[in-house]
Amino acid sequence: MLLTPAELEVLGLSLKVAVTGAIASLPVALLLAYVLARAQFPGKILLDGIVHLPLVLPPVVIGYLLLVALGRNGLLGAWLAEHLGIVFAFRWTGAALAASVMGLPLAVRAMRQAIEGVDRRLEAAASTLGAPPAAVFVSVTLPLILPGLLNGMLLAFARSLGEFGATITFVSNIPGETQTLPLAIYSLTQVPGGDAQAMRLCLISIAISLSALVLSEIMLRRARRRAQGA
Amino acid sequence: MKLEVSIGKALGAFSLEAAFASEGGVTALFGRSGSGKTSVLNAIAGLLRPDRGRIALDGEPLFDAAAGVDVAVHRRRIGYVFQEGRLLPHLTVRQNLLYGRRFARGQGSVSLQKVIELLGLAKLLQRRPHDLSGGEKQRIAIGRALLADPRLLLMDEPLAALDAPRKSEILYYVERLRDEVGVPIVYVSHALDEVVRLADTVVVMSEGRVLDAGPVAQAMSRMELRPYLGRFEGGAVIDARVGEQDLEMGLARLDFPGGALYAPDVDALPGERVRVRIRARDVSLAMVRPEAISMLNLLQCRVVAVGEPAGASVDVQLDAAGTVLIARVTRKSVAALGLAPGVPVYALIKSVAIDRRSVGYA
Amino acid sequence: MSARLAALAAVVCLALAAGAARAQDRLVVFAAASLRNALDEAAAGYAGPRPAISYAGSSSLAKQIERGAPASLFISADRDWMNYLQKRGLLVPGTRRDLLGNRLVLIAPRNSTIKLTIRPGMPLLQALGGGRLALGNPYHVPAGMYARAALESLGVWESVKSRVAATENVRIALALVARDEAPLGVVYETDALVEPGVRIVGRFAASLHPPIVYPMALIKGAAPAARAFAAYLGGRRARAVFRKYGFTPLN
Repeated sequence: MLLTPAELEVLGLSLKVAVTGAIASLPVALLLAYVLARAQFPGKILLDGIVHLPLVLPPVVIGYLLLVALGRNGLLGAWLAEHLGIVFAFRWTGAALAASVMGLPLAVRAMRQAIEGVDRRLEAAASTLGAPPAAVFVSVTLPLILPGLLNGMLLAFARSLGEFGATITFVSNIPGETQTLPLAIYSLTQVPGGDAQAMRLCLISIAISLSALVLSEIMLRRARRRAQGA
Repeated sequence: MKLEVSIGKALGAFSLEAAFASEGGVTALFGRSGSGKTSVLNAIAGLLRPDRGRIALDGEPLFDAAAGVDVAVHRRRIGYVFQEGRLLPHLTVRQNLLYGRRFARGQGSVSLQKVIELLGLAKLLQRRPHDLSGGEKQRIAIGRALLADPRLLLMDEPLAALDAPRKSEILYYVERLRDEVGVPIVYVSHALDEVVRLADTVVVMSEGRVLDAGPVAQAMSRMELRPYLGRFEGGAVIDARVGEQDLEMGLARLDFPGGALYAPDVDALPGERVRVRIRARDVSLAMVRPEAISMLNLLQCRVVAVGEPAGASVDVQLDAAGTVLIARVTRKSVAALGLAPGVPVYALIKSVAIDRRSVGYA
Repeated sequence: MSARLAALAAVVCLALAAGAARAQDRLVVFAAASLRNALDEAAAGYAGPRPAISYAGSSSLAKQIERGAPASLFISADRDWMNYLQKRGLLVPGTRRDLLGNRLVLIAPRNSTIKLTIRPGMPLLQALGGGRLALGNPYHVPAGMYARAALESLGVWESVKSRVAATENVRIALALVARDEAPLGVVYETDALVEPGVRIVGRFAASLHPPIVYPMALIKGAAPAARAFAAYLGGRRARAVFRKYGFTPLN
């Protein structure tokens, strides 16, 4: 099934947006997962709730909030554009941001589980061998949670591929810039005779998302085996 | 090396109040499960923070509640061999062994080659922890702790998770460790055999408190301790030297100030020092020197004390030229023979009763 | 392993930086949804750099431009939305011109047998037979607003206004009728001509509604290439394409 140049452009943009979104959310998700897994502080439940909001709020709401905060005239967006030259509104970076926000709860959940599954006695053993806390994290914790991390990233990636509501609200539907797979399919449904093309893109979408989900499941099993391999 | 421990901590329904000092060699923390031994070990390592007290190594405080000192775990340079090994599953054996190396400040008094040879690890280096046997894991855990160049080594019941053959194997390695590497060891165990074989000093603990601390022979023979030592059967520990090996009969003669003992299965050469444990129940008493009996071991002693009766039996403490011996006899016999402090008696011990497990090697 | 991760992270950061730093070099055009097929073909014949055209309801597009969307050229389906931007000073002065005209039609699915003459008091509600009338949103989408004006002029708006399926742009309304989801719809004649799945039931006289005019203008901050493209759209070749699709090129 050869793809037309237009389809390749859409596919390429979707992958670029989804991959960037997933990778950009990695440090944030890891930090949140670590704090939620290990730290005790008042208001922890609230933080947990906020992290899960993108799962339960309508995507359009998230998109709108992003617009208010990071649009060209938004609270933060104006400052970022002026001082750092970083623009999110109506650009693929904004699509990536919307994608990463929507995928964040999935990534945090998976990573948190992985961190909670680490045998802390191994970390204690590493300390007695002279490793400072940062070295313990990098040389013991991180390798042990790596499959769980990848599982979280892949879930976030799959979610990003299907992101529509927040994307179209925050960065609209500009071919070559923000028109990801879901937006392209949406546009095609409005084109007379566009059903066949829309279906092709649907199949591509399904194929990629399914692969990502299968891969993430493989990672999850690997994570479980590592936890028991000790 | 001087280790001073004096700490207190509330642990749920249980409160820990432990104080003892040790001057190197192997110090055993001995007691029943739940007596607080592992908590003391964790406090020395820095994995447990006491509520009050002080822990010092060679005068340098590792923990001092009053002065607000609590040295971080990774800075204490105290090796720890855990009961369950705790090898890092994502690394090979070799990588596990060398893990602490990059954090060790000194060159390390022990080389990798020496540790591999000492613990027999040559064939295991490229393997991964998950398909190793319990004994192999423990040896690697010991090697790993050693290679981090510790000034003190802590061992928490390292044999507990192993079956009998494995126990002997690891015990042998720990003895080699004690003898060939100079690092002092604090060894936690609830098994008396291990303590007797390995320790120079023993700290007896029960319910979070230290009941006694001192040289092994002395602590073991104190009868007041008997109830606290759980399944420990009262007995004596005798330091002896191998006088002669009768290879034909398979017996060794072990000399000590109070006389000589004959024991089978002694794997030592004449002149070497051994430590023998004599169970009280294996000691019989006679008022006159018996003749034509099978028992080879006959020691002249004097009764020092008669203990509290426990059911039908009672322990009698004896003195054989400075060596303590304990005999468990019936109350009936005590009365019939008129045993009382000062009375001279003969102690009879079956050679066969002094089995492999009762003999430790220095 | 950690070295590989670090290298990957570095590559990603570089890519992101490159993406962020690169100036907006592609020409972006915002155009009313009804222009889709015609404008695509016209743009295909353009000799210059290929523009990225975003189609949506004119109301949505105008709002996005107001929020800073990087469009260089805007073609609206009615004057009101262009006025909206002009009032806010978002147009490049002197570049606004009326590009195209269009007509409004009543459509039904191709196999429908509905017959209806468009005149005051026509039995539109009965003709719907319990179904809905597909329209662009009659309060902000130009096609919908024209339709409402026409139906008000005919005195039938009150009777059908609660039976309307309002869509975000006129092409969605077209699709609803084409898929037989709505028995009737009001769209531009140009829409009906490109959709084989619908047939025209009747045409609305131009007097029934404000004139349908597609103004075009350059947006403040437009890329330099926009002028050439706008000029092309007003030129002979493009006008021929628009005429082919049923639009009326204006002067």
